[in-house]
Amino acid sequence: SPFATTSAGVGTTLSNKETSSVNASRSADPEWAAIKHTPTGQMFKWPLVVPKLEDIAKSASGWEYSGQLEVGYIGGDADERNARYRMYQDFDQGAYVNNFDLAMKKADGSFFGLSGGAAGRRDQYYGVNFGRANSWTLKLYFSETPHVFTDSYKTLWSGLGTGNLVLLTGLTPGGTASTTADNAAVAAAAANSANRTSLSLTRKRYGARLDLTLSAAWKVYASYALEERKGARPLGAVWGNNGGTAPIEIPEPVDYDTKDLSAGVTYAAGLNAFNFRWSSSIFDNKIDTLTFQEPYRIAPQGFTTTPAAGAYVVGRFDLTPSNTSHNARAEYTRKLPDLYNGSITAVVAAGTWRQNDNLIPYTTVAGITSANVTILPGGDWSSVGSLSRPTARGKIDTRTADLTLSLNPSAELNVKLKGRFNESDNNSDPYYAVNPNAVYVDADAATAGAQTRGLSYAGLTGVWGRPLNDATGSGGVLFAGAPTPTGSVVISNKIYSSKQYRFGPTADYLLSKTANFTGSYERDTVERTNRERAKVWDDRFKLGYVNRALPLNSTLRTSYEYGQRRGSRYLTAYYEDAMSAAIIAMPTTVGTNVTSWAVRNNGALRNYELSDRNQHIVNVRLDTMLRPNLDAGLSFQFRESRYPDAAFGRAKDSSDSANLDLNYQPSPKQNIYSFYSYQQSRVRQASIQQAGNVTIGVVSPLGVITPENAATIGSTPGGPFYSLGNAWGARSTDRNHVAGLGFKQELGKATFNLDYSYTLGRTRLAYQYAIGGAINAANAVFAGDRVPDMAMDASYLDASLRFPLTPRLSARLVYRNQWETIRDWHYRNLDGSPVVAPNPANAPTVVGLDGGPMAYRVNWYGVMFQIKL
Amino acid sequence: QTRPTTPAATPALNGGATYVGEAVCIACHAPQNKQFTHTVHADIFRKNPKNELQQKSCEACHGPGSNHLKNPSDPANRPSLVGFTKEWGTPVATQNAQCMQCHSGGNHMFWDSSTHARNQLACSDCHNPMAKVSEAGLLKKQTINDTCYTCHQQQRAEFAKRSHMPLPEGKMSCVDCHNPHGSTAKALMKADSVNELCYNCHAEKRGPFLWEHAPVRDNCLTCHSPHGSNHDKLLTVARPFQCQQCHDNTNHQTNLYNAGQLLGGGAAPNSRMIGRSCQNCHSQIHGSNHPAGARFQR
Repeated sequence: SPFATTSAGVGTTLSNKETSSVNASRSADPEWAAIKHTPTGQMFKWPLVVPKLEDIAKSASGWEYSGQLEVGYIGGDADERNARYRMYQDFDQGAYVNNFDLAMKKADGSFFGLSGGAAGRRDQYYGVNFGRANSWTLKLYFSETPHVFTDSYKTLWSGLGTGNLVLLTGLTPGGTASTTADNAAVAAAAANSANRTSLSLTRKRYGARLDLTLSAAWKVYASYALEERKGARPLGAVWGNNGGTAPIEIPEPVDYDTKDLSAGVTYAAGLNAFNFRWSSSIFDNKIDTLTFQEPYRIAPQGFTTTPAAGAYVVGRFDLTPSNTSHNARAEYTRKLPDLYNGSITAVVAAGTWRQNDNLIPYTTVAGITSANVTILPGGDWSSVGSLSRPTARGKIDTRTADLTLSLNPSAELNVKLKGRFNESDNNSDPYYAVNPNAVYVDADAATAGAQTRGLSYAGLTGVWGRPLNDATGSGGVLFAGAPTPTGSVVISNKIYSSKQYRFGPTADYLLSKTANFTGSYERDTVERTNRERAKVWDDRFKLGYVNRALPLNSTLRTSYEYGQRRGSRYLTAYYEDAMSAAIIAMPTTVGTNVTSWAVRNNGALRNYELSDRNQHIVNVRLDTMLRPNLDAGLSFQFRESRYPDAAFGRAKDSSDSANLDLNYQPSPKQNIYSFYSYQQSRVRQASIQQAGNVTIGVVSPLGVITPENAATIGSTPGGPFYSLGNAWGARSTDRNHVAGLGFKQELGKATFNLDYSYTLGRTRLAYQYAIGGAINAANAVFAGDRVPDMAMDASYLDASLRFPLTPRLSARLVYRNQWETIRDWHYRNLDGSPVVAPNPANAPTVVGLDGGPMAYRVNWYGVMFQIKL
Repeated sequence: QTRPTTPAATPALNGGATYVGEAVCIACHAPQNKQFTHTVHADIFRKNPKNELQQKSCEACHGPGSNHLKNPSDPANRPSLVGFTKEWGTPVATQNAQCMQCHSGGNHMFWDSSTHARNQLACSDCHNPMAKVSEAGLLKKQTINDTCYTCHQQQRAEFAKRSHMPLPEGKMSCVDCHNPHGSTAKALMKADSVNELCYNCHAEKRGPFLWEHAPVRDNCLTCHSPHGSNHDKLLTVARPFQCQQCHDNTNHQTNLYNAGQLLGGGAAPNSRMIGRSCQNCHSQIHGSNHPAGARFQR
């Protein structure tokens, strides 16, 4: 790989969508001896024409050089703006530098290489490498990738791509007294074609890598890369809470720099080999916050008493924080010829991920007050004095140790013992959502008269909770707005760490020179902190069989794997210490609604990454040489996971695929290929729609509710909250067909090349429910039993005809026909009606300014000229 | 056949054969030499060898050739050389051991334990050291991705789905995430965990955030299909059902959102069934650094 190694780093390719088209038009070497097959039985690609030694151009200074440039002109519909078409590629009509390369070599091994393509486009790429073969190489590169999120965005703001969004003329920051007028104004702005735009970002990656071969044994390297991402993407922004008010898609600015540095040394000689690598990644978000004007009048929900509704003009996001990562890794292996001809391999690695961004206040609105709370000097919710600390103090340390002992007791048998430890140790400081500069009024209901004091927890005293969504939301601050106690106010974050231990043997037995049988067992244990399950363990058994000498020179590779995951006790309410229930005990008075203490989640639901699981995986792959110039590859995979303890949540998932490849290469002048894949994946899940409350003293289907059993009864299906009559289930089924066909034919000196592929994807999401339960009779008429199928069809045809005009100049006629249709129910009717307000006098359900994915059809053609040096 | 951990002693296989020099080879194998001349192997062997083995050029890989010369066209004499094709029939372990003479350690340190080695893959199942077919790496196909797809057809189909990594567009390769030569992690990953791998490109999601979403911190693949998906953003299931696999909490998460709540669905439209679904409000789902961001809304 040119710019990263196969062991670390990204950026292993310099190309774009068109590179493969150019490559495909190159002629095969007619002098090549014959078709040969890989040891598996797949045909090697016929080598391409290269100049004979004596024909390679040479300069007076002894440099041999060769190169080519392809330039031309594109016409037709290449300027299509559709986001789906533009994703990761950038075509346009007009002059086009498709690609170029220059290779220079000297007799002492010195070399210089230059390559590039799509000059001036957003998918352009360039690379330079020079050095001396087997001594040193310096590589420099630049690659650009567009990422187009939508071409149907309707902006309501100026300042796209910045951290400050100002509403366009005609829209009122904070809305007006008339929601009807606000809805009309937003709809009018969205309908204005001048406000329709694309949201995209461009990824630019610059890099350099130096490799030194000090000797046959010693090598060192160092690399640096800078990646810039700049642009904007849609981001949901909501006000209030309890479902939120008027979520609206705002354009989030993206202006990131990521610097990747790595350096290492490798050694391999005799019995020993070791690698040492250090790597760092420094991510810098140049836009720390996003402030946006809101076009609706938001009425604060319960929390605030002042200021009034019209004061909530601006919202603010804290965007992803800048962070750093460092990692050091050492790998060592030693052959042990005297110990059953074995070897031992050991790895240790340690790293850290950190961020310590300055925290921003809860709101930009100054002077917010609420019932039952007194703000002390310096404690305004719009100031950092309302925070329990000024910075994030996030830190995760990672550690890995891996050991493999490999022994060969006989020529036929290899046994390996493997052990692995991997840890993600989150050492972030817990964050407590408490305003230390605020106190409660009448804090103690048991004491006569008003008292003014904060509540203490974890060594901190103040008013607990956090004003939600720029202080427009209710329920975020304990006792604020409503002095009624509640057990579900979040008062601190949770720190998630994990440790993984993996251990097991594998055995590999050679049945013959061409067949082997493998078996392995592995126990994979993961311990997590602050999760529903403290420990899960996965026992995996795998059998494999390979035979390389079946009839028709066929190779069969097949395996079966069974995994059984189990774990410790599953705790639905594992985060009680992060909730206000830790400060305010559950009331015991008969008749008190204690739902906010008693219920966290359906007690019979299991998160699928933690639940018990029985998994079967079957892989079959057959490569066969039907004829010496025709090979076939056939593969199947069957994967099924069942979650036996998950009465609710994900119950089962499966994915199956069947694939067939055919390659026919009768001569250097002709090559035909085809492929077909079918995939199907299913996910089955179940849930219960909430109903009722958990009230002390009430007789429920599971008994009389008491403070002692409220949590159990409240979270148990069949209880007052999770009524079984409200249960529902859903099944999602993805089906995909992908087929491709291509051929290459040399006709005299001309080369015709064609590639065609068709992709069909369908997703059916069906659900079951009891009418009158999860959905009432009136709505069931509209709900039916499924949502409309999601569908995508895509067709891609690329054809080119290349013919030489002179020995150094060829012409290539290119034709591209590409289309896609896509249906996604999330975006049905949305492009034309972005303001979803069934009652125009009310705040909208959603303002969906991204119209979603759209169909496109493109025909473009071009004439390219290939000029050889 | 010897095990891959034990490099084959080629001369012993050849019954005491001796090196004849590449000029002798080229005398009969001119077409191969023409192609080979353009490879990095040729540049190393011929222009700047670092040891005696590399000076052997053709015979550095194929072994000493004197026994082959005794009867070069007789198939029965093929064991006198190491060949790297199905037709030649050299055992895979022997082939690979020849490559490991130079390519041990470094990126290849974990080859012996890799799933590719366990499945008896030869180096030449992916590489063609005789011809410069690919831009780099002496691959059997023109690109890394095309090389991998010859066996991993399933992944090729996944990259054709609605949302996918930019491999079909040539902006990424399989080797950005996987080390085909072996790794200590599952699926030949080039990092010690899934998240550590994803952060190579998605550094903005590395955090750690003030408010973390537990499954996000645990494993990106809890919600995303890494190669491609029928759904937006590589999700495994359409939202809101994706989120509702875990969230059956005390609020709107428990509702059965349905076709009647689509825009134009006939009943009241619902924001969870429109556009970004749950992320219309919980947009900072990968973590929030806002002091009020526990619900990932800021």
